Amino acid sequence: MGSPKSEDDQARFASVVLPHLADAYALARWLTGDRADAEDVVQEACLRAFRGIGGFAGVNARAWVLTIVRHAAYTWLGKNRSAALVMVDDLEAVEQKQANAGAFGQEPQTPEAALIAKADARRLEAAIAELPVPFRETLVLRDVQGLDYREIAEVTKVPIGTVMSRLARARRRLMERIGTDAPGGGA
Amino acid sequence: MTPTDPRLLVHAYLDGELDPAHALEIERQLADDPALAAERDRVEALRRVIAQQLPREGAPPGLARRIESAIGLRPAPAPARFSSRPSWRALAASIAVAAFLGSGATWLAVSPGPADADMVVANHLRALMATQPVDVGSSDQHTVKPWFNGRIPEAPRVVDLASEGFPLVGGRIDVIGRTPVATLVYRRRQHLISLSEVPAGRTIAASQAQIAGYNIVSWTDNGVAYWAVSDVAAADLDAFAKAFRAGAPER
Repeated sequence: MGSPKSEDDQARFASVVLPHLADAYALARWLTGDRADAEDVVQEACLRAFRGIGGFAGVNARAWVLTIVRHAAYTWLGKNRSAALVMVDDLEAVEQKQANAGAFGQEPQTPEAALIAKADARRLEAAIAELPVPFRETLVLRDVQGLDYREIAEVTKVPIGTVMSRLARARRRLMERIGTDAPGGGA
Repeated sequence: MTPTDPRLLVHAYLDGELDPAHALEIERQLADDPALAAERDRVEALRRVIAQQLPREGAPPGLARRIESAIGLRPAPAPARFSSRPSWRALAASIAVAAFLGSGATWLAVSPGPADADMVVANHLRALMATQPVDVGSSDQHTVKPWFNGRIPEAPRVVDLASEGFPLVGGRIDVIGRTPVATLVYRRRQHLISLSEVPAGRTIAASQAQIAGYNIVSWTDNGVAYWAVSDVAAADLDAFAKAFRAGAPER
């Protein structure tokens, strides 16, 4: 029992963080778009989580871990892909304008459900990768990783209403993209 | 776009996030508005195709090990026998062993039984899915213990841990390998803890592990192997094991 504090931290880390490694890696991969970069981000996030393990309140370990992974991914993106971090406020302002002008309402190229259902993994991945980061992370956390709105709000630090609107926009963009990408769909 | 925009709410409706009043309102609008119903069909199709085409994948092999060495978690020599399992489980076990030995407990570490651990988790899962998780339901140890008489060769130890925050729920017969064993069920808030008692012949290493999200603590005491499994936090399950050992009467 050389350093009980450190042993406690390690045991806590093993039970709080390590069970969510797959989720941590998945989020990092979707945010960085690269497997090797995702591993670096997860490793950095785990170091942060280990240092801060005493601050974990014990409520939702997965959300806590994903919050730290997201933060580490944003730091990484800021250093390596600063263009990826578009100001979401600007983004939402543009969409708001389009919506008010009726472009959103007319949904000119939204494909039928049957066409959406035929999308393959490669097309889906490409379409998700094209989403701006705030939309992408919301969609991935919900539709790939299965978090509920409250957890996503906690991880992405926005109100639940914003989670709902970002998710709706992300899905709408995906549906439009899948429609225009479709094989034999005129492209 | 207002918060009550049905085009937004239809997403929350499909995600099961609406309260009953709003859900009913959306269902009414879906019935009246073909455009909204078409949107619902598209969103449903998208959710389904994402779930089918982009399954959740595991972390790459080696990542856990890299992280463990980065934070100084190192495999102790003893649990090297776990080497076929993901290394962090062995590490969690080694930490638990160290903690138990350090606490002065005389817990036997003879040989690991990962296959038994899997069966214990399977028994626990099956019990959770059954109509009720116990065959005899009672918080009274003097009701639960006699129930096992005649069903298995040796009645289990039953300890009253209500004052420790682990009220007794009841007991059932599980099967580990081909041996029927007594399993007690305790409760920690809304979570159930299954404690299987396996008589001599299947000694196990004192260890702590996690399988499929369930924490497992096992130890051997007086020739009986104990397996505690639950979805409570590892620390809670550890506290449960300690309380049970402390409260167990000599026989």
